[in-house]
This record gives sequence, C-alpha cells and structure tokens, in this order.
Amino acid sequence: MSSSSIGRNLGWLSIFSSSIALIAASLALLFFQLQEVKSSLVVRLETVAELIAFNIAAAVDFNDAEAAKTMLSSLKTRQAISSAGVVVNGRIFAFYSRDAAAAPRSEDLRTTSAGHRFGDRELTVYRPILSHGRPLGTLFIHAGLHDYDQTWRRFAIITGLVAIPALLIALLISQLPQRIISRPILRLASLAATVSATKDYSVRAPVVRSTAEIEQLVSTFNQMLAEIEGSRATLEQSVADRTSELAAANRELEAFSYSVSHDLRAPLRAIDGFSKAILSDYAPNLDERGVHFLERVRSGTQRMSVLIDDMLQLSKVTRRPLERSEVDLTKVAQDVADELARRNPGRQVCFAIEPDLRAAADPHLLAIVFENLLGNAWKFTGNRTEARVEVGQTSLGNEPAFFVRDNGAGFDAAYASKLFGPFQRLHDESEFEGTGIGLATVKRIITRHGGHVSAEGVEGVGATFYFTLGGKS
Amino acid sequence: MAGLPWRWPVLLLTGLGVAQVCVAGTAPEYRVKAAFIYKFATYIRWPPSPSGAARTTPFLIGIIGSDPFGTSLEEVVRNQTVQGRSIGIKVLTRMEDALACDVVFVADTERSNLPRILAVLRGAPVLTVSDLDDFAEQGGMIGLDTTEDNHIRFDINKAAVERAGLRASSQLLQLAHIVVEVHR
Repeated sequence: MSSSSIGRNLGWLSIFSSSIALIAASLALLFFQLQEVKSSLVVRLETVAELIAFNIAAAVDFNDAEAAKTMLSSLKTRQAISSAGVVVNGRIFAFYSRDAAAAPRSEDLRTTSAGHRFGDRELTVYRPILSHGRPLGTLFIHAGLHDYDQTWRRFAIITGLVAIPALLIALLISQLPQRIISRPILRLASLAATVSATKDYSVRAPVVRSTAEIEQLVSTFNQMLAEIEGSRATLEQSVADRTSELAAANRELEAFSYSVSHDLRAPLRAIDGFSKAILSDYAPNLDERGVHFLERVRSGTQRMSVLIDDMLQLSKVTRRPLERSEVDLTKVAQDVADELARRNPGRQVCFAIEPDLRAAADPHLLAIVFENLLGNAWKFTGNRTEARVEVGQTSLGNEPAFFVRDNGAGFDAAYASKLFGPFQRLHDESEFEGTGIGLATVKRIITRHGGHVSAEGVEGVGATFYFTLGGKS
Repeated sequence: MAGLPWRWPVLLLTGLGVAQVCVAGTAPEYRVKAAFIYKFATYIRWPPSPSGAARTTPFLIGIIGSDPFGTSLEEVVRNQTVQGRSIGIKVLTRMEDALACDVVFVADTERSNLPRILAVLRGAPVLTVSDLDDFAEQGGMIGLDTTEDNHIRFDINKAAVERAGLRASSQLLQLAHIVVEVHR
C-alpha cells in the first residue's frame, strides 16, 4: 500500500489549490488595500495642507509668526499629524510639534515644491504658501502611518477569521472525491477480486451515482462480466458437444474393433483346426516341405490368436467400468511373479517387491498392468544370467508413484515416447516375442485412473517404468 | 515683507508723539505700517466701480493729516499694482478728495477731526486705516496698534467694512483683532 488513494490525492489537491487561491486573493487584496490607504492618506493630508497653507498665507504675509503658530497648533486635533511647520527663505517661520522635543529637519527646510514623501514610519506633505500667486514660503506636515499599520493589523485578523474557516470547509469538501470517486472504485476492485477468486461471472457491480467516468467504468465492467459469462456458457456447451461426439465416435470404434477381433477368431480357429487335421490325418501324403508350410500356417494363426486376445483385452480395458478399491499392490505383483515363474520353470529371475504397497485403484485392471509390466521385465531379461526385477514406491513431482525396474535389454531413450503407442515395438519379433499392445494397454489403464505413465531406459542396461494412479490416494 | 527687519527699537516715547511724527518720516515703525497698508489692499475686495473708467485710473492711497511715512510708502508701492491698477499716493488737503481715494490713511494729527472725517466717508467704498487709538471702535475700518513686545497688530471693524461694500478676506480677518463699533 505504498501508493496513496485517488480520493486522498484529490482531497489534498483541492486543499492545496484552494489555499493557493486564498493566499493569492489575500495578497492581492492586501496590496490594493495598502495602495488605497496610502493614496487616501496622501489625499487627506494634502487637503489639510492645502487648507492650512491658504489660511496661513496672510499670517506669513503680515509676518505674524504667533498667528501662524496658532494656526499650526490647530492640527493637534488630528492624532496622525506629528509635526508641521512653515519655512520662509530656508528658515523656520513657525513650527508645531505634538511631541515638544521634536525639531524641524534639514530636508524640510530645503523643499519648496508641492509633493509628498513616504519616509520611515511617516508621510510628509509639502505645500507652497501663496499670496495672490506670489510664493511666500512652504508648509510641511508630517503624519504617522497609524492608518497604514491599522490596515495591516486588521487584515491579519480578517485573514485569520476568514482563512481558517475557509480551509476547514475546504477540508470537508475535499472528502467528497473520496465518497464519489474512491469508494466506487474500491468496491469495483473488490468485486473484481471476488470474481477472479470464485469464477462466478453472474455477479454485477451495483450502479452508483458518481462522476460520469466512474459510472462508465462500472457499466463497462458489468458489460465485460456479461460477455465473459456468455462466452463461457457457449464454450462449455461446445466442449460438452464435442466431448459427447468424441465419446460416441470412441464407442463406435471400440465396438467395431471388439467385434472385428471377436469375429476374426472363428475363421482363425477353423484355419488352425483344419491345418491341425491335415497334419494329423494327411501327413503321410505330404512331403516334408508341405508339412513345414502347414506348421508355418499354424504358428501364424497362433500368433494372430494372441494378437486378437491382446486387442480384445485392450478393448475390454477401455470398456470396463472403473471400480476403485483399496488394492494390495505387493500381493498383486507377487501373484503375477509367481504365475510367471510357474509358467516358465526353466528360468531364474530374482523379484524384489517392496512390502505393503497400497493404492486406491481398480484391482482387476491393476493386475493387467502388472501382468504386462512384469511380463515385459521377465521377457526382456531373458538374456541375463542374473535377471533382477524390482517393484517399489517413489514419487513423481508431488504424487506417489510406483515403479517396475529390470536389468534387461533396456531401450534407446530417444524412443521412450513411442513405447506406449499400440503396435510399437522397439525389438525384433525374433529377439523378443510380443504383440506391441501390452504397454498401450498399461497406458490406457493408468490414464483411466487419472494417472501418468513414463519410462526411462538405457540400451543393454535396463528399463524402469513409472506410473501414478491419480485419484484420492 | 519678510525681508524687512522684524524687531526694531522703540523710538517713540510717550509725550513726544506729535512732535516726533512731524520729523520722523523714515521711522522704522512707519516703514512697517506702510507695508501693511499696501498688504491690506491685497486682502480686501472693492465693489466694482459704477463707471467702468475707474479701472484705468490709478489705485489711490490718500493721506489725511501730516504724512508720517516720508518716502517709505512710495518705496513699498513702487512697481506694485492692486487689482491690475497702478498705485498712486496723495496727501489730501480737502475732505471731499477723500471720496475719490480707495484707501485713506488718517494720520494721528487728525484726532480731533476724526468724527467729521468718518462721517464724510461713512458708507463710501474707501478703506480707512489709522494708527489713532481706538480708531476701529470709533467707526474706522482698520486700526493699527503697536503691542508691548513691539509687534504691529491691527483691529478690524467688520461692520464698517461691510457697510462700505468692501470684502475683507478670511485670511486677513483671522489675523485681525475684530472690534465692535462703540456708538456714542
């Protein structure tokens, strides 16, 4: 949460801008007011000076300094005026001062023309004294800037009284964006989070009264939700359609292969049976070459029979419903191993089966998996003097996995992906007999359990087959 | 005026007054008084003359009695004008001539004639000035007065000024001691 919210930002922005406006307006007001006060001070003092200069002219003309001083003393009713005087020929003719100690200044003696001057804390006005257009002397008046100072003070007080409530109001107003802009956006954001978490696209953001942009955002968001909802429904429908089409096609294909396999058996049995009958009943009539041909026919039909059996098994594996139960894999593997040993008493293969291997799976299908995997291991260790087959448990990723490892012929790792396709054989029929359907059957069973099957091997060293069983276990 | 000496010694002594005036034409007191007479003329407005010709005639200052100014009055008014008119000075010998003047100065030799002089000039647009005691109270317009600290002060009889149709400026009235006429 390092970034601040829109609402707060807008709030500060509005406070900032209103403060700037307030300060600028105040300064402008102060500036104009001070100018106003200055010019009105000048005008007022000049008016007074004009009047005094007129009245005092005769006193100067008749050299009556007493009368002149009396007239200047009339200024004492004006609080702002600190001193005044009449200068004739560069000398003080009459002088009045509120403060008895004050004395005329040299610049007052020099100035003869009309005008005014703002000095340090005071305003000075000069006025010539005329008698019938003849200049007699100059009047000067000094006035304090009390009004000017008062304007400052009054301004400070008014600014305080106005600016502080104004800023408080600005603070209140600055909360508005929070309500109008920030809240709807936050609500929208939390709704978006909910939608993304629950995948429920049927919810809609409530339409709130806010700025046009926010309202547009809300309505666009809702529109987007509606579109997603609609396209998801279409997608699900089309997936369901495809799936059922695919399932139907699969069923047809399986039914076809089942019936083909099944129906092929009868003519095959006839071929084999009559070949056998010819061999037993008409062998004397046949030369050695004919007998050999017939035996080749019989071996061909027997291989074809095995092929058909395997295909039927593959087909059945697909068609059978999956029924999971707790399976003791150790026992299943051991049974298969015992059966292999019983059928091939001439071979010595060391089986190392980990005890207490358990999984939730279809026991019948899992027996087929072990028949194929252990059968392969048995078969491909045929050339080993010390054949060894291991069955155990490991893990692939986070899933518990089982493996069957042998030290047989192995395979070229480059062909590992081809192993599980039907009729894929990596070894010559003459070397190791087989139909190429076994691993395809294994893969189908494991896939039906929701698991994965994989193989790794090194040619001439051995092979390991891993499988997981998916599901709850 | 500012250039004139402000403080001057008192030369007149009590009891020598009349004799002194006769010989003291250049007394400093009268130099100031001469200047005052000219300045009074600049602060007073005369009513317009019934005959327009009066404008072209000189502004006439008449002196009744023994002239105390010597040359000082002439020096003061030289090259000066009043309301655009050049200034002339005349010592009057006949009472009737006073009516032709704009200003009449009554010298202190005429104390005994004063009521008659004022009676002749009463109501006429002639400014009467004198340094006789109580001149304004007796019906004159401006009375000159020397204070104890040697300042020249003047009294103005506003009623007499107004009766003559003259207008004294407020500036002048502010400086003057306004007196009320005493009726006997």
